[in-house]
Amino acid sequence: MAIKFEHVSFQYKSIDNKGYLALDDVNVVIENTGEFITLIGETGSGKSTLVQHMNALLTPSKGSMNILGVKISSTAKENKDVQFNPIRKQVGLVFQFPEYQLFEETVEKDIMFGPKNFGVSESEAKKRAREAINIVGLDDSYLSRSPFNLSGGEKKRVSIAGILAMEPDILILDEPTSGLDPRGRDALLEVFYQIHTSLNKTVLIITHDMNTVYEYAKRVLVMREGALVYDGDPVKLFSRKNIDNWNLDVPDIIQLKDALESNFHLDMSGTIRNKKALLKRLEEVLS
Amino acid sequence: MKVVIGRYVPGSGFFYSMDPRTKIIALILLMIATFLIDSFALMLGAIGLIVLLMMAGRIGIKRVYLGLRPLMFLLIFTFVFQILFNRQGEILLSRTVYYSFLSLALAVGLVVFWFFTKKFTRFKLFYFVIMVAGLYAIFTEIGNVSPFATGTLAIYEEGLSMAAFIMLRLIIIVTLSTILTITTKPTDLNLGLEHVLKPLKIFRINTEDIAMIISISLRYIPTLLDEANKIMLAQASRGVDFKEGKLKDKVMQIVSLLVPMFIISFKRSDELANAMEARSFTPGATRTRLHQLSWKRLDSVAIGIAFLALSLSIVLRISPWI
Amino acid sequence: MDTLLGDDILDMIEIKNLGFSYQEDGVALSDVSFNVEKGEWLTILGHNGSGKSTLSKLLVGLLRPSSGTITVDGQVLGEESVYDIRKKIGIVFQNPDNQFVGVTVKDDIAFGLENLQIPRDEMVKRIDEYANRVDMADFLEKEPQALSGGQKQRVAIAGILAMKTDVIIFDEATSMLDPKGRKTILKYIQKLNEEGVTVITITHDMRESVLSDRILVLKNGEVLKIGPTKDILLDKETLESSNLELLLPLEVMHTLEQKNITHPKLKEFLWQLSLNT
Repeated sequence: MAIKFEHVSFQYKSIDNKGYLALDDVNVVIENTGEFITLIGETGSGKSTLVQHMNALLTPSKGSMNILGVKISSTAKENKDVQFNPIRKQVGLVFQFPEYQLFEETVEKDIMFGPKNFGVSESEAKKRAREAINIVGLDDSYLSRSPFNLSGGEKKRVSIAGILAMEPDILILDEPTSGLDPRGRDALLEVFYQIHTSLNKTVLIITHDMNTVYEYAKRVLVMREGALVYDGDPVKLFSRKNIDNWNLDVPDIIQLKDALESNFHLDMSGTIRNKKALLKRLEEVLS
Repeated sequence: MKVVIGRYVPGSGFFYSMDPRTKIIALILLMIATFLIDSFALMLGAIGLIVLLMMAGRIGIKRVYLGLRPLMFLLIFTFVFQILFNRQGEILLSRTVYYSFLSLALAVGLVVFWFFTKKFTRFKLFYFVIMVAGLYAIFTEIGNVSPFATGTLAIYEEGLSMAAFIMLRLIIIVTLSTILTITTKPTDLNLGLEHVLKPLKIFRINTEDIAMIISISLRYIPTLLDEANKIMLAQASRGVDFKEGKLKDKVMQIVSLLVPMFIISFKRSDELANAMEARSFTPGATRTRLHQLSWKRLDSVAIGIAFLALSLSIVLRISPWI
Repeated sequence: MDTLLGDDILDMIEIKNLGFSYQEDGVALSDVSFNVEKGEWLTILGHNGSGKSTLSKLLVGLLRPSSGTITVDGQVLGEESVYDIRKKIGIVFQNPDNQFVGVTVKDDIAFGLENLQIPRDEMVKRIDEYANRVDMADFLEKEPQALSGGQKQRVAIAGILAMKTDVIIFDEATSMLDPKGRKTILKYIQKLNEEGVTVITITHDMRESVLSDRILVLKNGEVLKIGPTKDILLDKETLESSNLELLLPLEVMHTLEQKNITHPKLKEFLWQLSLNT
């Protein structure tokens, strides 16, 4: 158990001091290896606030959390001796817009910025920058380019490399594929999947795309009005009851599968979670 | 951190129904009048009148006090500065000040005690005055135990009256401005300002453009603050610790905030300019306006009273009888 | 006077041999020609960096073409006519926050009207009418910070409708919204088009194209293909070569066809299904 939230609530202070409850009694445990989690929920449901707790950018108003052995509670007094920086090194958080973090003259320097803040030597940081840029699917020639002259998708990759180079155990990405065209989106998802499988890291992705949830995730978290209402298997998530209650979009695969089953009485049972499996099954049942 | 000055508070009362132009012009006139007043009686009278007006206009005294609070340090500083360094007129008070180990230790102790306990009281100002009185007692009485040096604390008549005057003037000015800002929506204030500044057109200053700039700033300040916060969080995720670091690191930390801020702001303003242009906006061109100001009898009366107050203060200032 | 008498009268927008290059990045569009009929809904599909946003900026005169002509409602876009043409074409941009000019919803809808020097009485009427059309009448006094992305985009639509434009371009207007916001905006686009507004949507999201009349596919600044929606949606080769994808039911249809698997009614069923995404 790497991250454990116990009854975590968080209240944003607003102008009229009424406050706004962004997290409402959240309990969750996240392992530091081998998980592939998606986090879904409408805008304003508290997804971003939740992940900003996971690397201790925010601390709870109520409840407590244990992040990689460091206990963080709701009072400043008890958190006095907490070293926040090591937590942020181990739980890497990539923000939605790469523009929030890119600032250096070259891609290489920008990727090195994180590791160097955590005390990594210049030469080691350089080495890591090269590795990280390759992991996100860009070649070495990008290292000497300015991060500002890249396309939207490339900027995203560089910002992810900047966090990967910190060598976190857990990688969290806030809406990493929004705004990308289908090919760009699929390529990036493949990168995350690779990071998850070959580096055995836990990856958590915030997304609005139910196809991503259904195809990639081993586990899905659903936020609604600050509360964590579902934590479990993506296959079970998309039951009729949940779809209606939580106003969920249905993944294309499920829509098609259900339609084929009910209209043509084709046997679509069992786990069919991606296009390939679906086509294969169709071939079998139709020929 | 919440800025209280300059924030519109919805409400009713005659201040709310006044034309923003009236409020701006009256504010200017009354500010000038305040600077002309040179007698205590008049100054207190003016404050009394303002309080009456506020009560009649249903503006809570507490709101205005909240507006004053951020300026408290400035007020106290000018007061103390005037008292200690203005050495004109009769000496009102002269006391020997004793610097001894006891007085210094007690003073430091008292300040530290005050600093850590002040958050437990609701009457912070009162508590502060008690602390200052305590310091006074320590240095002039209690601390007189084998002093290694002595000095004099002298308060002069002129110093005291100047200090009081400056403070009262500041209080009046801030109170009046606070009344303006809490009873006028930023958009109306801007529109009023645009009209009041219209005479600047003879200097070829386009007041409509200025008003547009102010309006867009008002619109985007919350957005930019929110964005600055997100950039800080994003960089903190990369190990930037804004609380610590050597000077060299500090520079880097600031650069890591400013560069994204600039780049995002440029992109934003570029896109905004496009959106405005696409909706037929041309800088400097004539536009009709949704918000129109209407001058009511109340406004004529209010301006009349403000003029009267100014004239009165001029007459009293220059008249030889008073 | 041929143009007024011939078939061209049906064209709201006519684009001929349009080209554009950015100083630093080189060619963004080359030799783009197409037309948009009155009351039509045209989708412009393209990958990131295909030049689709450049095209939308050219259409409303925010950029000046390096070559070619743009004709809107019989009027050639140029230095003088640009102001007239902007009264006919409105555009909703991608980022809801960067096009909300007013301090409140009401002020924002009024912004374009103020620029057109519409008298105040008329302005007030139109604000109410068009805020109602996008179901934002209850939000007139609200500040943008209190609105969701989808609501801000609806305000942007009302602001353009109030200017009584004939054409609205949606330049990736839903790409920063959550599914709920995206669906509502699509609903309004559909409604507007049914009411006779000519619509151009620019996107890389296939789901947004299914309801349009025709699709134009851009690739690296050139028109790869233009045709009826159904033809393009089924054209795997064209779509994939432009970094796009087939809608899942159509992908299935395509694969089954390739493998010579036929099934009665399945084809039509899959097509209908793809229209519902």
